[in-house]
Amino acid sequence: MGVILEAKGIVNRFGTNVVHDGLDLSLEKGSITALVGGSGTGKTVLVRTLIMLRAPQAGELKLFGENVLAMSFNQRQRMRERIGVLFQGGALFTSLTVLENVLLPIREHGNVPAEALEEVGRLKIALAGLPADAAVKYPSELSGGMVKRAALARALALDPDLLVVDEPTSGLDPISAAAFDELIIELRDLLGLTVLQVTHDLDSIWRGSDQVAFLGRKRVLAMGTAAELTERDEPELVAYFRGKRSLAYANQFWRDREGTNHTAAQLAAE
Amino acid sequence: MSSHPARFEMDTSARCLRLSGKWTVHALGRVRLASVTPLANGAAWQLDAGEVSELDTAGAMLLCDLLDRIESDGGTVSQQALGATQRALLDLVRQRRVVNEVLPPPVSESVVAQIGRVTVSALREGGGHLHFLGELTTRLLPALLRPWTIRWREVVNEMYRAGVQALFIVGLLSFLIGMVLAYQGGATLEQYGANILIVNMVAIVTLREMAPLITSILVAGRTGSSYAAQIGTMKITEEVDALKAIGIHPMDMLVVPKVIALVIVMPLLFVYADIMGLLGGAVVADLTFDVSLRTFFERLPEVVTLSTFLVGVVKAPVFAVVIALIGCHQGMKVSGSAAAVGQATTLSVVQAIFTVIVLDALFSVLFHLMGI
Repeated sequence: MGVILEAKGIVNRFGTNVVHDGLDLSLEKGSITALVGGSGTGKTVLVRTLIMLRAPQAGELKLFGENVLAMSFNQRQRMRERIGVLFQGGALFTSLTVLENVLLPIREHGNVPAEALEEVGRLKIALAGLPADAAVKYPSELSGGMVKRAALARALALDPDLLVVDEPTSGLDPISAAAFDELIIELRDLLGLTVLQVTHDLDSIWRGSDQVAFLGRKRVLAMGTAAELTERDEPELVAYFRGKRSLAYANQFWRDREGTNHTAAQLAAE
Repeated sequence: MSSHPARFEMDTSARCLRLSGKWTVHALGRVRLASVTPLANGAAWQLDAGEVSELDTAGAMLLCDLLDRIESDGGTVSQQALGATQRALLDLVRQRRVVNEVLPPPVSESVVAQIGRVTVSALREGGGHLHFLGELTTRLLPALLRPWTIRWREVVNEMYRAGVQALFIVGLLSFLIGMVLAYQGGATLEQYGANILIVNMVAIVTLREMAPLITSILVAGRTGSSYAAQIGTMKITEEVDALKAIGIHPMDMLVVPKVIALVIVMPLLFVYADIMGLLGGAVVADLTFDVSLRTFFERLPEVVTLSTFLVGVVKAPVFAVVIALIGCHQGMKVSGSAAAVGQATTLSVVQAIFTVIVLDALFSVLFHLMGI
């Protein structure tokens, strides 16, 4: 159903420090895109720009086909209801239980009969893969993985069309991280979400995403599947994708697909 | 396709359950499940969702509830008419849905039980402060015996913040209180022609009680609360744990310097408040009651003995310890949420001012018995 998010010529500056200079990015509906790049390439700044927490110095941002930078505050608020955001640390409201956290956006923006409200909240908590008894707990009583899931439940509260996730698997053990990746894919398939995830996790990049947007040289330097980016020759991409561990993923990928690993072997030899 | 709010109607003649509108979290408000049951009675219904423009998880959940109600009443609903995505969503919700558990009603407490609980928690709170005082002492005394181990840089910082930065507000308020005292006392004394006694009244009340109390209340509000907020926030962000892990006792780093700084600064603030209060009184005495500044300050040494001055200032270190202790302890007790920091800040101010006034009353009794 077309393009959910389209950014053109985004410029972000802090004083004289230019973070993005003419950055373009577009996301297809139903895709899962990993946003990667070395530290200091402005991943978080870009995410903050895309979810309208920061106005870029120049450029154009279209969400669901509408130019959001020209919008009034109220129109933007409407837009925000269609975007679910999972912040890096979870950003759960510490004085509210998990259930209250999830119900907050629904109470604020939704229109659900009072009798069904709590059930909706509990459904979201279950969708995010949390056990039922987590609903009445406070964020300080949750483990790191559960905090991420609770934050995901809150991000899903209004059935957003676009889900933006900042480092969903950082700080999780590999098993929880893999489960989280699967959860995101499952939700995409079931709810038709479009997902943009900032990540460093090779598992998330190779197995948890349809495509990868690589930030470098103050713009999206390359966009494609992880396998495609492995074959690119820009030095930044070579450094990022042809490390030992990344190549292991590449080999696995080609073995799974073609039964050979000659491409990766060639790349490693270069 | 319609975009009006979600609705359903039960066509009893055609046995058709018709859904229409936006079945999304934004537009479910008018769906009344309670209206289902009387009509359902054991019949086989057809579901018609052709007019549903949108369906999301919340909508699917409500639809599930609706079907459940009909089915629990012995009815059946044929779901042939649903689209593939709609059915997938319905299945997802069915699978993941949690049936609300019924929470036990909260037990109501009798008045006696409430009084008991509040008393016990107040005593615990007091005991907690004593415990903290003990803990502080075990860190403070060894440090005082070896003064080079004290973090003097921290102490000086805290002195600046608690003392120098409070000068303006303490000075202004003491001056105003001195003025008020002179006005109130002067009006009465003037009737007896005893204007000169304004000096006695202003000097004794200011030095013994008003300057110490005003200063302590200001310091509790300014400095005690900031201690609680600072340490409380550090607890939430695990900075206190980080200190412990690095091998620094949080008491040494966060509490001891604050206590030492306040104990040094508080007497100085008292003296400063004394001076400003006397000035305020003297100005009013001069302008309104014909007691010239010169007379005022000439008479001052005759009515004020050294003990009057000391009775005020001797309370300073005690109040300083109380304020710093309560602020730091409330901060250290914070756990969990951002709201707890706010609570600790409020409690620190309330308890510090309460304790200061109670101690002040005790001092008054004590000095009276000692005949000072």
